[in-house]
Amino acid sequence: MAAEQTKPRAARRPAAPRLPVREVLGAPGSVRRPIVFLAIAFGLSGLIAPSFLRLSNLNALLVSSSFLIVTAVGEALVVLMGMIDLGVQSVLASAGMMVAYLNIMVPLPAAAAVPVALLYGVAVGWLVGVLVTRGRIASFIVTLGTYWGLTGIALLFNRGDNINPYSVTPPRQFGFLGFAGHLGPVPTLIVLSVLVVLAGEVLVSMTPFGLWVKSVGSNEAAARVVGLSTDALKTIAFMASGGLAALAGIMITAWQDSIYPLTAQGYSLQAIAGVILGGIPFTGGRGTILGAAIGALIIGLIDDLIVLLGLPALYEYIFVAIVLVIAGLQTRGKGFVK
Amino acid sequence: MPGGPEPPQRRPLLSVRHLSKSFGPVRAVDDVSLDVYPQEIVGIVGDNAAGKSTFLRLLTGYHQPDGGEIFYRGRPVRISSPRTSRRELGIEMIYQDLSLAPDLRVWENVFLGEERRRLGIFLDAGAMREATADALAKLGAPISPSELFANLSGGEQQAVAIARALLFEREIIIMDEPTAAISLGKVQEVLRLVAELRARGHTVLIVSHRLEDILQVSDRIAVFSHGKILRVVPNEGLRIEDLFRMMFESA
Repeated sequence: MAAEQTKPRAARRPAAPRLPVREVLGAPGSVRRPIVFLAIAFGLSGLIAPSFLRLSNLNALLVSSSFLIVTAVGEALVVLMGMIDLGVQSVLASAGMMVAYLNIMVPLPAAAAVPVALLYGVAVGWLVGVLVTRGRIASFIVTLGTYWGLTGIALLFNRGDNINPYSVTPPRQFGFLGFAGHLGPVPTLIVLSVLVVLAGEVLVSMTPFGLWVKSVGSNEAAARVVGLSTDALKTIAFMASGGLAALAGIMITAWQDSIYPLTAQGYSLQAIAGVILGGIPFTGGRGTILGAAIGALIIGLIDDLIVLLGLPALYEYIFVAIVLVIAGLQTRGKGFVK
Repeated sequence: MPGGPEPPQRRPLLSVRHLSKSFGPVRAVDDVSLDVYPQEIVGIVGDNAAGKSTFLRLLTGYHQPDGGEIFYRGRPVRISSPRTSRRELGIEMIYQDLSLAPDLRVWENVFLGEERRRLGIFLDAGAMREATADALAKLGAPISPSELFANLSGGEQQAVAIARALLFEREIIIMDEPTAAISLGKVQEVLRLVAELRARGHTVLIVSHRLEDILQVSDRIAVFSHGKILRVVPNEGLRIEDLFRMMFESA
């Protein structure tokens, strides 16, 4: 229909030279868009700060972005269904505090502490899912609750203090430092985040589950009339989001060799920004996990660039804001926008 | 005018006996009985709130009746959910708003919830695209299966919804106001699709406010008023005025 409407207009106007935006960027929701954005961002970054393109810097960028990327994959599933998870940063911090507490303060072996922390993230997601679907409370409200509430939980573990190997006497090493190690020449954190992104991308673009998730975001009634259990699908998305945020919390604890209860402040909104930047509209229905991961990487890249240029960190907020509005433009919805 | 014999076979495909459904004090469907025969088109007419939609929703498992019975090929059935209705009885409802996903491609919409798979877990996109193209071609609607649903015209969207019913060989296709949301120029196109469904052996229940459409395609017409079926008439020599009179004669 859009084509029908634009034809007469095009006929009236003399043919103006037009940038081939569609041809380069692909359709809305296409993974080509974030890839083009990433290429532009790399090019610009290389021009502004030549040291950016050094392998060591790219390696550092991927490692420090891995936590946000993993978190953004879960967030992407939720946003694809037209919902939001504001609580991921608090799940991340509280799961990090939990794994550290269990591993060196209780102490439990890492082989028990890590699965418990992961299960905790999944359980939080389940609770959010139940409150959203059975409780019929908007996901924004429920996850605003986890956003605040789980920060409180994170603060409880060591009475507001951080947990590091010296929090106990005698000092005790974290048993899960392997997360921050290397697999061959590649940092494990990068391998993990790539695996999470690949698994998410395969799930969303190549399996029926992905189709169901997108159908709920696009038109929930359509999903219901064909007999899909939309409540179960939504709950699964929140469980994935919680579980991946918890994984990011464990990763960050291993990487820092310590964990602060207020770690990852701002991550929820950064993850959401990455998802939008990656081409998933706020209303859901279309887009890719790979795009969301690239979006998160671009957010990390802005952070990295600010450091390389020696600019005060406040510039990061301004850059992210500008990039986000641009991203919003290319995922804007049709019809009314609330 | 109707092309099919009337009724083609004597044994009903679907029989409804004394079906009732109330919402609070409102008797939305009140002691409704109807036989639907294979390969016929039954038009359903009635004023707003006459009970048409609730009646259809009882057949598609969206509501559960308070009383009465439904027989499918002579055997009593309980339609407990939309899934039962679709999968076990082969009843497909095409809603007025179509209930398809605008952000999904045509083939994704057609196969949503009934995907063909490879290795048990992966979408067999190629096979589904091909089957969708085939079904659309049978309907004489040349639409690319890879097109985004949102990019289609109203008539094309209706064709996709019908293709879905055709592809899964649903026996009974229920259409709720199929011509309400499309441009007048496309109405004949959709009515042609409805007749095509009957020609391919399907049974169609069609609800419409556009009485001329009902008169054009239906073999028989059921007139609803205040939750009851006032009468079921063969579509022979009927005019719009006759239907109007029937719809309001008890009001």
